[in-house]
Amino acid sequence: MAGVWIIAENREQTLELLNIACELAADIGTRVAAFLSQDHERVQDYIDCGADEVLVLPPLASDQSIDAYIPIIAEEAKTGDPDLMLLPATMRGKEMAARIAARLDTGLCSCCTALTYDEGSKSPVMERLAHGGAAVQKVTCTTRPAMATIPPRTFEPATPKEDRHGQIRELPAPPPSEVKVLEKKMKERVAKDITEARIIVCAGRGIEKNEDLAFIRQLADALGGEVACTRPIAEEYHWLPEELCIGLSGAQVKPDLYLGIGVSGQVQHLTGIRNAKVIAAVNKDENAPIFRAADFGIVGDLYDVVPKLIAELKK
Amino acid sequence: MPNIIACFKWVVDEAYIRRTASGELDFSSVDYKIGEYDRNAIEEAVRLKDNLGGSAIALTVGVPEATKGVKDALSRGCDQSCFITDTTYRDLEPSQTAAILAEVIRSRIQNYDLIICGEGSSDLYAQQVGPRLAEKLGIPCISFVQKVSLEEGKLTVERRVEEGIEIIAAPLPALVTVLPDINVPRIPGVKDTLMASRKPMIMIKKDDLAPIGESHLRTASLTAARMERTCERFGTDAAEITRFAESLRKKGVVG
Ligand SMILES: Cc1cc2nc3c(=O)[nH]c(=O)nc-3n(C[C@H](O)[C@H](O)[C@H](O)COP(=O)(O)OP(=O)(O)OC[C@H]3O[C@@H](n4cnc5c(N)ncnc54)[C@H](O)[C@@H]3O)c2cc1C
Repeated sequence: MAGVWIIAENREQTLELLNIACELAADIGTRVAAFLSQDHERVQDYIDCGADEVLVLPPLASDQSIDAYIPIIAEEAKTGDPDLMLLPATMRGKEMAARIAARLDTGLCSCCTALTYDEGSKSPVMERLAHGGAAVQKVTCTTRPAMATIPPRTFEPATPKEDRHGQIRELPAPPPSEVKVLEKKMKERVAKDITEARIIVCAGRGIEKNEDLAFIRQLADALGGEVACTRPIAEEYHWLPEELCIGLSGAQVKPDLYLGIGVSGQVQHLTGIRNAKVIAAVNKDENAPIFRAADFGIVGDLYDVVPKLIAELKK
Repeated sequence: MPNIIACFKWVVDEAYIRRTASGELDFSSVDYKIGEYDRNAIEEAVRLKDNLGGSAIALTVGVPEATKGVKDALSRGCDQSCFITDTTYRDLEPSQTAAILAEVIRSRIQNYDLIICGEGSSDLYAQQVGPRLAEKLGIPCISFVQKVSLEEGKLTVERRVEEGIEIIAAPLPALVTVLPDINVPRIPGVKDTLMASRKPMIMIKKDDLAPIGESHLRTASLTAARMERTCERFGTDAAEITRFAESLRKKGVVG
């Protein structure tokens, strides 16, 4: 049966994966199949957006999480023999992909940011970052299927085409899970999408206390920009929401201006700002790695420099 | 009383990787360390054991030089270590590492309740070894965990997902991968290092194990990521701050 298969949790992720899946399927000369686990009325939507087949998964019990589908998906892949399987590089997606890959005894390219098909070797070439972002690694997979997880918003979503037809197949229900979801505490998404911001002021651990973020915000206002942060500010201190964390395990941003305040510039952070047009930084340590990665750097104490900068920008 | 296994990887410290003029990666002056997030895995195992009794075993697969990492793990509070080593274990891919760990856990450790892995290694950050290992052992896997509690043969954890937090229960034995904010890893002191040298260290050689499969992924290329910037420096007096602001204006990035 072969094909490019995609397994995502929601519509947004599915459409994005459909886009790249259709491109690759055309190069390979095969079909695209999409798994659908909720909102079953979306079948035609997925077909319109490029799926040749929709594999419908029955609903989960309330205490089950999406990983309950792993045995069903793995079995399906054993008989269906896909060329390539794509999942989103979300927390659940990454775990599911690794577990499916283990069951199929195949290779998985984690957090793949570019995918092409190589006519010569007849295999997908997958690109990812390694060594915290210091290196770009290109891999191919010698076993079937090749698998990759793709960070959300790497590709544009697919758009619906007219007059599309596809097959629909119902899959068996998953077995009961040993692992039980007792409770879900959903949070409100309060943070803005920093991947769209034109100007970003990034708060790092050089900032001493939560209250001091107020003047980082003032600086962002003076610049007409948004506040973002490094991973420790979001995850260790919980001063800002995780969505605002930039880097390897956070967001990849592409602003006109990135201004890091008290950010050391470890490679895992820098990899998230590589596409900024201008990088600027304030750090009191003249040897901080951020200065080797910045266009403009002020060597000085942020508590001295930031008020001066705000005043200067208001001129 | 639980027996806990903490898995870790001995990795190149990425801060020492240089880029040559021709764009190659230069590893000539690198140093090694226990992966950043694997320290959280070790710390969590040791804390659970300190609270509940039982034992914490540090487990790693790596090249012979990684013996330094084994000692480091023991000085961080693990009771004993199990080190599977060979000179060919330098570039193992996640499927191979997981296969080796699974075989050793099955054949040599057997009696365990919880396996703790870091969220991802500092070098490859593929985030696969934990989940793959759980599948190989046929035990429950919960990844991206920010809080663990162990009670009477049952595990309850807080798992982070993009939309919030899930509270999850699973029977033991199980495997979790932990996030960096689960704890603050201790910094071993001189006394810890001295104590570490007296703890049991099991060493397993490649020949003691079944042959591992070929790697699935073939690296077609590994190149240094480009990051070329002008690196202009500024001071903090009024004139310098003005010059800095002017530079941003000239680039057209601020109004
Ligand atoms: C696998 C992996 C993935 C990771 N992913 C990410 C990621 O996605 N994003 C991320 O950000 N990090 C990530 N990290 C962590 C990363 O390695 C760094 O630890 C982190 O980016 C450091 O954050 P920081 O610059 O805020 O803090 P620090 O490194 O502590 O730097 C603080 C800086 O502030 C300066 N400073 C202190 N006081 C002042 C002052 N008064 N005035 C001016 N400057 C001052 C100091 O000189 C220092 O340079 C990851 C790590 C690993 C291992």
